[in-house]
Amino acid sequence: MGLILKNVSKSFAGKKAVDNISFSLNEPGVYGLLGTNGAGKTTTIRMLLGILNKDAGEITWNGKTVDRKNVNFGYLPEERGVYQKTLIMDQLMYFAELKGMTKRDAEKSIKEWAKKLKVEEYLNKTAEKLSKGNQQKIQLMTALIHNPELVVLDEPFSGLDPVNTDLIKNIIIELVRNGKYVIMSAHQMATIEEFCSNILILDKGITVLQGNLKQIKDSYPANRAKVEVNQNIDNFIKECNLEIENEVDNNYILKLDNEEKAHNLLKILMQNNVVVNRFEIMKPTLNDIFVEKVGEE
Amino acid sequence: MKNLFTVMKFTMREMVRKKSFIISTIIILALIVVGFSIPKIVSAIQEEKGNKKVLISDESNVFEGSLESLKTMDLPYDITISKTSYDDIKKKIENEEIKTAIIIEKENEQIKMRYVVENLRWENEVPQDLFGAINSIYSNLQITKLGITPEQLQAITPNFETSVEQTQEDEVEFQNVFVMMIVSFALSMAIILFTAQVSQSITTEKTSKIMETLVTSTSPRTIVLGKTIGIGLIGLFQVILFITTAIICANVFLDSEMINTLLDVSKITPGFIIITLVYFILGYFAYALLYALTGSLVTKPEDIQSANTPVSMIAMIGFYLGYFSISIDPTSSIASFAGIFPISSAFCMPSRIMMGLASAQDIIISIVLLIAMVALIAKVAISVYSNAILNYGSKMSLKEALKQYRERK
Repeated sequence: MGLILKNVSKSFAGKKAVDNISFSLNEPGVYGLLGTNGAGKTTTIRMLLGILNKDAGEITWNGKTVDRKNVNFGYLPEERGVYQKTLIMDQLMYFAELKGMTKRDAEKSIKEWAKKLKVEEYLNKTAEKLSKGNQQKIQLMTALIHNPELVVLDEPFSGLDPVNTDLIKNIIIELVRNGKYVIMSAHQMATIEEFCSNILILDKGITVLQGNLKQIKDSYPANRAKVEVNQNIDNFIKECNLEIENEVDNNYILKLDNEEKAHNLLKILMQNNVVVNRFEIMKPTLNDIFVEKVGEE
Repeated sequence: MKNLFTVMKFTMREMVRKKSFIISTIIILALIVVGFSIPKIVSAIQEEKGNKKVLISDESNVFEGSLESLKTMDLPYDITISKTSYDDIKKKIENEEIKTAIIIEKENEQIKMRYVVENLRWENEVPQDLFGAINSIYSNLQITKLGITPEQLQAITPNFETSVEQTQEDEVEFQNVFVMMIVSFALSMAIILFTAQVSQSITTEKTSKIMETLVTSTSPRTIVLGKTIGIGLIGLFQVILFITTAIICANVFLDSEMINTLLDVSKITPGFIIITLVYFILGYFAYALLYALTGSLVTKPEDIQSANTPVSMIAMIGFYLGYFSISIDPTSSIASFAGIFPISSAFCMPSRIMMGLASAQDIIISIVLLIAMVALIAKVAISVYSNAILNYGSKMSLKEALKQYRERK
């Protein structure tokens, strides 16, 4: 069951924004939706939330068509916005009531989330008096106060400092632990790698890669080697026909087109009594895969 | 339905909390109170000041002492009769002992009356009633000299009884025209001002980017209708507050005779009040939904004025057609047309009904046309709104929005 998108398409003024996209979330977890700006991520999210009509395809949640009535979802849009001149408490209550919560439940939930997100002191202030990061946390609260089953987070970390990024990361981990289905779009590939078991990469509305992140990465050959030594080894690297990508204080990142060359380098280093503190053959990062898939024009 | 009520409640609370709303309401209420109390204030000031002091100088003794009889007449002046020269009078005026003076002189059998005053401001206007009384005293003096008795004088004085009768009854209840023009103007202004608030509210939500969160919380139809009804209720409350204040002030500050001259209270029946409310509500909805449509097209607050221009133009045409057609000639065919034409009917039909100019058939046709227009605008506006509110790019033109609406159909 869970969320299923099947052959979904959408065009604007005759131009395909999303072309025949399909994916599913069968169990609680975080699903990563990736793509460059204008790739169709937000259009996909808007369609799956039912705020934009699709031209073709099917979107279901536990077998039912997705719309406000039969899916309890929470949404943090990419476009950040709060009522600037309204008290935070009043606007959170407004959205909680629109989501069908009673006044009592809403107040309780708002206080709990405000504590978790460390914004309790701002509840009786207007949004215009809050920093951008705190406004973003308030908006995240509007997405979560009604305890949704499906949570859609569009660029949840953009504009946040490291402390607040960490705070939001912990919230997402908690959501998954509590059995929530999370769809997340982000530009920070490291964050996606940290959270998502499954991903989909969109380019100009077309799916260029999708599936289990680990399997995807395993299907790629190693493309780098990390070598940490106590001396300059440029000559040995040259001897093995390898190229240096980066070097800082004898910590090398080497480009790899063949794993054998890396093994050969290690052998030579040993033979020459070079002290090797670290030697790692590395698989491509999600960033590498992303750039490979959508970076070439 | 619950969400509609929630949106209404939130919209109303946001509106009444605005400083601009509170200040404008207080200012208008103060203006109403001050406006109605002006006649009372003016008469109180006059009473406090007492009668104007006027000196009448008859140095040539033209009136042979008969001017003393002026003091016994019912004239609003404190009169002093003396034989004072022009220079002394000037000094007395400068010293504020007197306000004005009348100097009577005789030159070559010609009697002259000079009105002396510091300046001719409104309170120092030439006292025609006093001049009339002086003329009359002089006539009586001369008549007495001719030896005519008071009975003979009465016999030769014309004493005609005049009356006016018209063969055709008035088509218009003119007694109520003035009051209805004011009420009609107030309702029209309320419709125009409050409908524009709908556009403002939608644009604020769109430009503050809260819209995307909002449309995932409830339907666009609920948002548009909730906002429109919420702002309309506040507008209606404000109009009722102003009218009630005006009625209370009229009763407190104006003479009942004056009120009865201006308004035939018997014409203000519950039926009339209901029908006026119906026109206000329908007129409000028609324009509010049009403004909701234009408000949803805007992506920057500075574009709101230009986006609203087409609707403002229609509203102004409707207002001028409705208001001025009944102001100039309520019985004209253009006034009858304005009462039925949906863009102007809300602005003038209540007045036409009050004046007794609208038949039941006119009212039914007018309301049916207005409801049809509101239904059509609601359908198009909600659809365009749903489509346009998530457009954050460049401003969508009305033409483009309507084109998309036709394509979606």
